[in-house]
Amino acid sequence: MRFAENNRISHRQLYRQLLLAFLPPFLLCVTGKSWFGGWGGILGLAAALGLLLFYRIFLIRLAPACGALLKTAGGPAGWGIGLFFLVYVILTGAYLLAVLGEIVPQSLLTGVSGRWISFWAAAVCCVGTHRGMQRRGRMAEVSGMIFLGGIFLMMVLCLGQVRISSLAEGLGEPELSVESFLAGSYGFLCAFSGVSLLPFAMKEVEKQGSTGKTMTKALLTAGGILLGMQLLLPAVFGGKRLAAEEYPILPLLSGADLPGNVLARFDVIWMGLVLYGILFSLGSLLHYGSQLLRQLFPGNPQVQPLPFRLAPAGLALLMFAFSLAEIRGNGIRDYYESYLAFVFVPVLLLAQVFLSVRNRGKRKRRRLGAGIAMLLGVSMFLGGCAAVEPENRNYPLALGVDWDGENLTLSYGMPDLPEATGQEKTEENGISLLSLSGVDFEEIEAAYSRSQEKILDMGHLEVLILGEPVLGDKVWERVLEYLKEEPSVGEDVYVFRSAGAREVLSWDGARDTSVGEYITGMLENPAGREEKASVTLREVYYAWYESGTLPELPEISVQGDLLVLEEALTAVSDRDGEEKETASLLAWWGTLYPEFCFAESSGSSSAGKTGNSERPENVKFSFWLAQIFK
Amino acid sequence: MKEKEVSGNIRENEAYIRQRCENCADILIRPMTLGELRKTECLLVFIEGTLSNVMLEDSALGKLLGYFQELSPDQMRKTLRGNGLGIADVEELSGMEEALLAMLAGNAVFFMDGYSRALKISGKGYPDMGVSEVESEKVLRGSKEGFSDSVKTSSALIRKRIRDTRLKVEEREIGVRSHTTLQLLYVEDLVHPRLLLEIRERLETFEIDGILDSGMLEQLTEEAWYSPFPQYQTTERPDRAAQELLNGKAVLLCDNSPVALILPGAFSGFMESSEDWYNRFEVVSFLRALRYLAMGVAMLLPGLYLAVIRFHTQILPVNLILSFAQAREGVPFSSVAELVFLELAFELIREAGVRVPGALGNAIGIVGGLIIGSAAVDANLVSPIVVMIVALTALGSLAIPNEEFSSAFRLLKYAFLFLGGYLGVFGLVLGSYLLISHLAGLLSFGIPYLVPFVEKEGDNWRESGGRIWRMPFRKRRFRPLYARKEENLRLRRRKDGKG
Repeated sequence: MRFAENNRISHRQLYRQLLLAFLPPFLLCVTGKSWFGGWGGILGLAAALGLLLFYRIFLIRLAPACGALLKTAGGPAGWGIGLFFLVYVILTGAYLLAVLGEIVPQSLLTGVSGRWISFWAAAVCCVGTHRGMQRRGRMAEVSGMIFLGGIFLMMVLCLGQVRISSLAEGLGEPELSVESFLAGSYGFLCAFSGVSLLPFAMKEVEKQGSTGKTMTKALLTAGGILLGMQLLLPAVFGGKRLAAEEYPILPLLSGADLPGNVLARFDVIWMGLVLYGILFSLGSLLHYGSQLLRQLFPGNPQVQPLPFRLAPAGLALLMFAFSLAEIRGNGIRDYYESYLAFVFVPVLLLAQVFLSVRNRGKRKRRRLGAGIAMLLGVSMFLGGCAAVEPENRNYPLALGVDWDGENLTLSYGMPDLPEATGQEKTEENGISLLSLSGVDFEEIEAAYSRSQEKILDMGHLEVLILGEPVLGDKVWERVLEYLKEEPSVGEDVYVFRSAGAREVLSWDGARDTSVGEYITGMLENPAGREEKASVTLREVYYAWYESGTLPELPEISVQGDLLVLEEALTAVSDRDGEEKETASLLAWWGTLYPEFCFAESSGSSSAGKTGNSERPENVKFSFWLAQIFK
Repeated sequence: MKEKEVSGNIRENEAYIRQRCENCADILIRPMTLGELRKTECLLVFIEGTLSNVMLEDSALGKLLGYFQELSPDQMRKTLRGNGLGIADVEELSGMEEALLAMLAGNAVFFMDGYSRALKISGKGYPDMGVSEVESEKVLRGSKEGFSDSVKTSSALIRKRIRDTRLKVEEREIGVRSHTTLQLLYVEDLVHPRLLLEIRERLETFEIDGILDSGMLEQLTEEAWYSPFPQYQTTERPDRAAQELLNGKAVLLCDNSPVALILPGAFSGFMESSEDWYNRFEVVSFLRALRYLAMGVAMLLPGLYLAVIRFHTQILPVNLILSFAQAREGVPFSSVAELVFLELAFELIREAGVRVPGALGNAIGIVGGLIIGSAAVDANLVSPIVVMIVALTALGSLAIPNEEFSSAFRLLKYAFLFLGGYLGVFGLVLGSYLLISHLAGLLSFGIPYLVPFVEKEGDNWRESGGRIWRMPFRKRRFRPLYARKEENLRLRRRKDGKG
């Protein structure tokens, strides 16, 4: 058989393996580094790629030496080099496990211990990794392009949130200097240090002499995607927020919309894709670790004795242990980067130079397997189940924040389930408002826990209304910090100001729906959308990180039985470059949505600043009439 | 131990046979005197039911016996030696064991005094159902013939489609007690010799008392016996088997089983239906894509549903999650228990529907699906959305053309259900990683299970159309990688422009 005759992986499989093993850790860990962004980062990436393209030639030539490590380097030196690579593999794996253990409970599975996440990841990744490169090649072949497609899709979907002004500003942070350039170059070289393991696998690649082209392609693809991220991330977040985010790739999609609105949010799916990639990277590390062990304990290559079969499990266990270990309160995430920069990369290079110079390598088992499987199965339940049934959650669609100088009051506007789903029509009001006060958010959360039977699911928050005192006393910063801590809150939430947030949320005009949905409907209604300027949480974060201020927020208030939305004062430039103030458009929505009317206010409206005191209530047009007048 | 030879003394042969066949009421031993003056003693041994009335004029045996009425012993021996009557399926046997096995295979065995050979003469053989309409791989376009329980009939159905002497049929017996007949079919110049070698080796690596169906053979010779995924393609359709033979694969037929094994098997093969090659490529490509989607639904939907409603509610539009929440109000069980309960109920309905006879089976399906589902919702045991999830999952599994392959996904569904229910999307990612890792490690006779999705440069899968996209017939020039490289051209345009 052609496949059976040739047990080596193809170049395409190698290419996809490289992408799948490198890109997820890069996207997750590298994009948050201080040296990643700015012109320094971009030039540093280019320089690093240039060096790596030369380095790959060296690696290809090194393959025979790494294939017979002990023979080439001699016994003690070979052992030393092998063990060093092994330590590198284990600590890198531990670092990835620690990152997984941090981000998954924060962003995906709140309530589950990060240790268990790391444990499961290590346990899953060690399965079958000793079984040769072909298996990994096939895995990469079937899933590599899906992953790459996912990245491109994510980048395309984020284009809608790009601000050119932010990009220009973001590229200046950090400022271009020799230091930032060198830091960027060395940072990227360290990030790509995993390619130094490739010579150990090269013997399993067909036509290994010509793998250089494949490696070039992989390096350039990864580099191209990183470059894309260097432009996309500051353009979406702004330089300051980017600098403040440790894993900026995670919230990247939380403000994006999927065309067709099939899903409300899809950042979870994106995270799933990244997680798969991280698992693949871990699996690759375990595979290389097993290969190294085989090099150090040579035997019949056709026979895989039990110790070698268990090697990935042992390595995974070590990785897991190191991911948990702390030295004086510092975990591997704190010290791995320094080790990588100051120990691993220099010594790996030295070891390779040394090698280059020298070159010139049943039943009990079933029970054990069943026991391990059972243990893993049980461990799934031991992890502490954080799942909560949908009916046991409260879904606030609108959140109002008020401040009386001492206490914060959070008002949660929650839909009444039978009303909202239309499954049980009643004549009663569909509003369900819960207000809780406390000196800080912790106290409010504690009060919520004490008084409510259902947990708070903020994942569907659509509207945030900040009371005037909140804006005045800079309490809004505390609010934003609180919301940043809530991973499920999307960044596409609309933000308003109001004299009384609670009053707005108590409005009983939205008979068929909740206030949050009602206001979102007002803003997203295609008719007259261009007139309804809105501010999202992402924009608020942006302004906060950039200038420490809030953007002008549209105001919302209740007038009689009407909910009144008033635009923020916006300034636009006409063709002559002169700034002119747009007329604020006042909109009244009647109590029977969508029976609403529009009215044009006078040009000197102080909308967004003073509230609703100057509304010309006598002028009302129908919506279409207003369109004609405009 | 040396095998006992057929003796020239018919009484000795008869004694031996009677001793071996003691208490075998179904084996008939009929002594007779034939020839001139009725002086030549003969013996006919056969299994009741495998021969029609031997004296019938149109039976070969009847004609032989009739012809022997007037011959001298010498003439009779001469006739037997030279097959003077020109009987089509006749064979001389020298050993008694051989003769007994021939009789047990459904033939008549004829002995004559003074003639130290036995004669195997075919009769109608064991009773079987004959060629019937295929049940499990129904198609709208294409042959309706299905394989028979008789291996001979099955191979004849393939021969009917490939009338070429390069189609080889190797016959062997397996099972020390069942002596089941196996046939290995291949096209001599297409199949890779190493594949044949490997198949023969695997068939010889075990000794078993009996093989009663090709399924037993399949499980005994698979590489990864622990995998839920079948590694041999199975079919009841002679046209599908013939198609795969032309692709360079081998077919294993087992007596008493209407299911042929196609070796090696591949993931994509299980997602194909034989009519994929009879219909237009656009429609078929769409249907194939739909089947892959169905596969995902059959395996992942319950787990995904649980992951979303229990962990990642923000994915869903607000109205949808509110509907879900409202629908679950009052259900006493957790959503995992609810889904497991309903999935198991569906499996019960399915199992009951398969076991009971036709019309009643359909009735059980309807009763189960509609009444039990509706009653469970009314009784607040499950929420309506879960009924829909289970129904969609069931539809997904039914859309997979191969039942055994579909069963693997039905089983994995439960693993994903728990992973999604207790670990959310992280669990689903863990499960997917394990699944892909497992599938990437599977081999069927040295061929990766995931071909053509893991093809190498230079392989012809892109042109052979084995992926989701089915190539137009005119573009399908090459055979897939199973075939010998020198014979990989399947279609070419004649230079004279004909055809």
